[in-house]
Amino acid sequence: MATRLGARPVTAPDWSRRPRTDLALIDCDVHQIIQAPEDLFPHLPRVYREQAREQGLCLPGSGYFNVARDACRTDLSGCDSPAASFDGRHLGDDYALLREQHLDLWQVDHVLLTGGSVYGSSLIPDPDFAAALCSAFNDWTLEQWVARDERLLMALAVSVSDPRLAVAEIERLGDHPRVKAIMLPTGSRMPYGNRHFHPIWEACARHGLVVAVHPGAEGAGMAGPPTGVGYPTYYIETRMARPQMAMAHAVSLIAEGVFEKYPELKVLFNEVDQFWAVGLMWHMDADWKSLRDQTPWVKRLPSEYFRQHIRVGSQPMLEPENNAQFFCMLDAMHAEETLIYCSDWPHWDWDDPATTFPRLPDHLHRRVFSENARELFGL
Amino acid sequence: MEVDRVRRVVVGRVEEIPPGERVIVTPFRGRAGIGVFNVAGRFHALRNLCPHKLGPLCTGRVSGLVVAEAPPSTDAPGLDIERDGAILRCPWHLWEFEIASGRCLVDPRMRVKTYPVVIEEGEVVVYAAAADQPVQPASPMAG
Repeated sequence: MATRLGARPVTAPDWSRRPRTDLALIDCDVHQIIQAPEDLFPHLPRVYREQAREQGLCLPGSGYFNVARDACRTDLSGCDSPAASFDGRHLGDDYALLREQHLDLWQVDHVLLTGGSVYGSSLIPDPDFAAALCSAFNDWTLEQWVARDERLLMALAVSVSDPRLAVAEIERLGDHPRVKAIMLPTGSRMPYGNRHFHPIWEACARHGLVVAVHPGAEGAGMAGPPTGVGYPTYYIETRMARPQMAMAHAVSLIAEGVFEKYPELKVLFNEVDQFWAVGLMWHMDADWKSLRDQTPWVKRLPSEYFRQHIRVGSQPMLEPENNAQFFCMLDAMHAEETLIYCSDWPHWDWDDPATTFPRLPDHLHRRVFSENARELFGL
Repeated sequence: MEVDRVRRVVVGRVEEIPPGERVIVTPFRGRAGIGVFNVAGRFHALRNLCPHKLGPLCTGRVSGLVVAEAPPSTDAPGLDIERDGAILRCPWHLWEFEIASGRCLVDPRMRVKTYPVVIEEGEVVVYAAAADQPVQPASPMAG
């Protein structure tokens, strides 16, 4: 291990380009992750404890490499060599690190805890075990995270395979003052507008919970392949497939009339890039004008539903060739309504609050970094 | 206007930084610091600030360059790792930099600032000025 003096420059006094402290900062994608199945044992029924002790949690993985150190920033783990041994520890299990290196350092007002591989529970074949796993993870999160810091908000893990069990979990914890959303993976058996899911959306609307969707379990467990043309070979291809998965879910929610049925419902798509939102609104508006009669319950332009009900996380923020293109994109996606800052702590591809955007006009900065999230979560 | 003096920064004794190791020093208060790397017996100094998103570049992993001569097939040679220990990857977003030159290997517009390193009486010494460490490096999206 190399000698490490001053190894974290962003903590240096007077380090510049820090986020503006005169403006609020809300980060809607922070991952908290269990270290081992045993973390959940105090909250799991005995039968599942005994199975998990010897067989793990059976959470379906995608089968693609991510990157070293369980995809976490190596400056946080202090690991500067590929030859160093790795104990498998994911930094998302460490509240003190989050507090020191994120909440305090960047002066974050609120974060939404979005969990981790537990999203995969929606694709576990056994719906009862999946639901028990989600409940245990939620209890662990409330106890180990939310109770320790008033800046922490959480998205409930729920499994959608049996909607009644998902609704039961929403009824159990949905009114907790710091529960603000439910968390679902992009990987799914069906697009999220399908009526199979409607009881869950009804419960979310009733409890004022946002439906947050994040890449996870694509092509894993019971999910369909990660792209419309099957399984790509490499991890980078699965990342490029994220916008198409987000589009499929968003289009489905609009076309199946979910926002007509549940006018209070809001959906947040995290970590799926941003530009797809523009293409979706332009293309779907045009086609709706021709094909409206096939889905006559869709009473308004699709882009109107999108702008009212769908929000898009900023990470990984696209890096256009120049600022002119960047601002064009923000304008076309109505970023002042739809875009929400996300860091993706503690992963290697995180976006810090200071350098992710070119300097934004004050009103737009406020919308993206706090006000859109405040409105979304009723803060 | 204050003259910006070049400062002589002693990083350590040569034997304290063996091949493959690094030291990060912060001679200027509030600045990102300088990473000094021993790559196969030669010392190189880089600003500890990634020109991409200002990440702590010099805390990243030192590795080789994974290469393949052609897309994979049953006839083509497999993956290889070249120049072991000569490449630094920023912990934020994993861009690859050549330690000896500061050149970014994945974006030719990018280069991290390098400093002269000399060995003086068994000590590794970097000469740097505060002005060498502007707080806002060129942004890829500038303009």
